[in-house]
Amino acid sequence: MAGRRAALKAVDWAAFAERVPPNQRAMFNALKTRNDALTARLAALPEKPPAIDWAFYKANVAKAGMVDEFQKKFSALKVPEPVDAQTAKIDAQEKETAKSTAEYIQASKARIAQYEQELQKLKSMIPFEQMTYEDLSEAFPETKLNKEKYPYWPHKSIADL
Amino acid sequence: MLSRLVLRAAPAALRALPPPVAVGVLHTTRTLHTTQQSLAPVPPLPEKGGEVRHGLIPEEFFQFLYPKTGVTGPYMLGTGLLLYLLSKEIYVVNHETAAAACILTVIVYAIKKFGPDVAAFADKLNEEKMATALAMKNEAVQSLQTAIEDEKKEQWRAEGRSYLFDAKRNNVAMLLEANYRERLLMVYNEVKKRLDYQVAMQTLKRQKEQDHMIQWVERNVVQSITPQQQKESIAKCILDLKALSKSAHAVV
Repeated sequence: MAGRRAALKAVDWAAFAERVPPNQRAMFNALKTRNDALTARLAALPEKPPAIDWAFYKANVAKAGMVDEFQKKFSALKVPEPVDAQTAKIDAQEKETAKSTAEYIQASKARIAQYEQELQKLKSMIPFEQMTYEDLSEAFPETKLNKEKYPYWPHKSIADL
Repeated sequence: MLSRLVLRAAPAALRALPPPVAVGVLHTTRTLHTTQQSLAPVPPLPEKGGEVRHGLIPEEFFQFLYPKTGVTGPYMLGTGLLLYLLSKEIYVVNHETAAAACILTVIVYAIKKFGPDVAAFADKLNEEKMATALAMKNEAVQSLQTAIEDEKKEQWRAEGRSYLFDAKRNNVAMLLEANYRERLLMVYNEVKKRLDYQVAMQTLKRQKEQDHMIQWVERNVVQSITPQQQKESIAKCILDLKALSKSAHAVV
């Protein structure tokens, strides 16, 4: 009986739906429909089957001993609970995703730091009107003319003009 | 000869003069890289160049002579100098002079007429360059900001993974529970079916026996009614009917 009624945790589907990225919508919808179908199926089934009225049957069935036999066997019958093989797997999956999510968040934070840095650099740049070409080369290194490789004007390969 | 000496001495004398006075709108000498912060960005160039009169002579010269000679001073100096040069033939008037006069006239006229347009055109070119550069910079800033926001959003999304696993676990639990209940229900149904079958069989048998019995009794009774009895019963029925009709007439 202990393993039977694992309490169903209330899932906030609205909040869940918000967090789903657009490319995983289909999977989310499939999960939701599955969940809804199962909920409906569960709700349709009564928790316990109604009790069998043994007294009535004992009074009415003529065959001797049949009802008694049935009653004995019925009360002795133990319906086996279905074995739960998936929860362990799900827990393992959860741990794994926790780890990979932590890694992803680390990488994401590093990227954010990088972007912030570049943003800072761009924002603190002197306005173009006050720049010389040297200042431009400092601010945007890709515009720097390579005077060693191309000693003659225009200091870059003709294809880049 | 003396004049030539004066001419040669002039530059030296001019260098000895104090530097021009910085006055408001007029051209200021820009002191560059003299303070500690010599690497700081150079301050922007002034919008307009120094003021000049007649396109040649800087305003500072007139201001310089104003205290001593008033407004007409520099003009007197200029005229005197010119007359001196001409009369003493320090400047010789030849065919080059005529050519110079024509050319200068044309040049001055052209500049006065087309100058502003050309300036505007050049400014526009520069403006376009600046605008492209600025647009690129703004675009870069924008894209960086959106990138940062997207990253933050993705982080927020990743935090919602607990929902997914809760939902999965719920699914599994519901499935197991539903399965168990179905099994219980199946057992109950099967047992009930068998018992009901027995009861139904019995009732059916009983019913059939009763029907058969009734039919058999009826058949025998009908057979046993002899014609004599039939006549007697019909006569009795008619008498009863007459009695009834009499009482009915009486009631009406």
